[in-house]
Amino acid sequence: MTEESDTGLGGVHIKYLLHCPRQLWLYSRGYRPEQRSDTVAFGEALDETTYTRRRTIDLGEAKIDWVTTGAVVHETKSSRTPTPQHEAQVRHYCLLLSRLGVNVARGTIHYPLIRRTVEVPWGDEARAHAEETERQAHEVIGSHQPPPRLPRKQCRGCSYRDYCWGEL
Amino acid sequence: MTAATRTYWLTEPCRIRRADNSLRIERPDDTRVHIPITDIRDLVLFDHADVNTAAFSLLNHHNITVHVLDHYGNYSGALTPADDMSSAPVLRSQSALTSNSEQRLAIARSLVHTTAANVIWALDTNLLANPLEQLTEQLAEASDTEQIMGAEGNFRRSSWEVLDTMLPPWLRLNGRTRRPPTNAGNAFVSYVNSVTYARMVTALRCTPLHPSLGFLHADTDRRRNTLALDLAEPFKPLFAERILRRAAAQKTLRKSDFESDVGRASLSNEGRKKVSELIRTELSTTVHHRSLHRKVSYEELIHLEALKIVRLCLEDTPYKPFRPWW
Ligand code: SF4
Repeated sequence: MTEESDTGLGGVHIKYLLHCPRQLWLYSRGYRPEQRSDTVAFGEALDETTYTRRRTIDLGEAKIDWVTTGAVVHETKSSRTPTPQHEAQVRHYCLLLSRLGVNVARGTIHYPLIRRTVEVPWGDEARAHAEETERQAHEVIGSHQPPPRLPRKQCRGCSYRDYCWGEL
Repeated sequence: MTAATRTYWLTEPCRIRRADNSLRIERPDDTRVHIPITDIRDLVLFDHADVNTAAFSLLNHHNITVHVLDHYGNYSGALTPADDMSSAPVLRSQSALTSNSEQRLAIARSLVHTTAANVIWALDTNLLANPLEQLTEQLAEASDTEQIMGAEGNFRRSSWEVLDTMLPPWLRLNGRTRRPPTNAGNAFVSYVNSVTYARMVTALRCTPLHPSLGFLHADTDRRRNTLALDLAEPFKPLFAERILRRAAAQKTLRKSDFESDVGRASLSNEGRKKVSELIRTELSTTVHHRSLHRKVSYEELIHLEALKIVRLCLEDTPYKPFRPWW
């Protein structure tokens, strides 16, 4: 087990699992290529300026953008395309909060660049889904062998490319 | 390693101060340059610099290494940020790998052998076939890293002789000397090798590896980053031998670029600028990388080399030292 899995999984773990299990495996072993890319810097700038009334909730590995009254979990994304990864990440936050005894209502993902929001329902089904995702993540992290690389077209934009594909 | 940051080469004596979130470089002629801290990957000091604690803590906070070369081009040390990217699983595996003598020797042998092949490539000669054959034999017989280094030394002596035949008399090495380099050729090689080593130190700092757990070089000397020394080896001919040959052929270097004394030589002020410019141009040269499907600079090749060792540690992927493929 790695240090990260002892303290639980954060949103990043879930995101990486769904993008590429290998990425999660590498990340969990502490190899984290520098992430000072332009997209990341932009995402941070967006965070700081778009929404002012917010409370970031820090659950160790997971930092939740903010939770409004009625226990709606909000997450802001700088991308223009809603993806299943984003929803899984929010469901994971709902799961973590509900384990802390919060009576979570649902999640909302904000995409300020396209002025859209996506609602993520929370209930028994969503919880089962979130638990299954969490189990898969633990399985990947616990494996001794790294998962294989994705077909390289899907590696586009991944910060592990130099690592995964850099050997001749 | 990120695209947005750069290496800054300070070839003149200067003062390094902090001005908000920038470094202020104060030159002897009273000109000042401001560099935003987020633009800096690392600094290479070719000459005296005076750094105060405010500047130092800013550098440290942004994880920036300052490499210091001495007057003769020898790497004399670094200001290294306290924070590193190390990770327990990688370190555990790195220390297991480097303490297993069989694995350690296998990697040391391949580093020396590949470096020799790279020297031959850089000199583009068939005069080194015999020494290479001898090296191959001696490597097979060598049972510790000292013997491997000895075999390497023999090959290197032959290769410096061959390089001398390509240089004008005033630039010849007449045997490799350091601390201090005895002549212009040696001074040049010292500078370039130190920069190559500095690039590797910086590359390793972007990985979870520990720079001092290595394979080939002795790790008894605490000042040495053994792994960085090891991994710099296959790259040295790409820079030192090649740039020196080219500079000789194109007559880029002049006697006045060096300050030669009896038994010691170093670069002059102009020489420092010229040599750092030559190295920078070389580091930014690109080649097509067949498996990354894009162009990579020589500087990036150094970074990719460090990642190979991360793969070795995490996934047991056999390490094949860098060989030019173009
Ligand atoms: S480069 Fe490709 S294989 Fe490697 S972690 Fe990223 S997506 Fe996965």
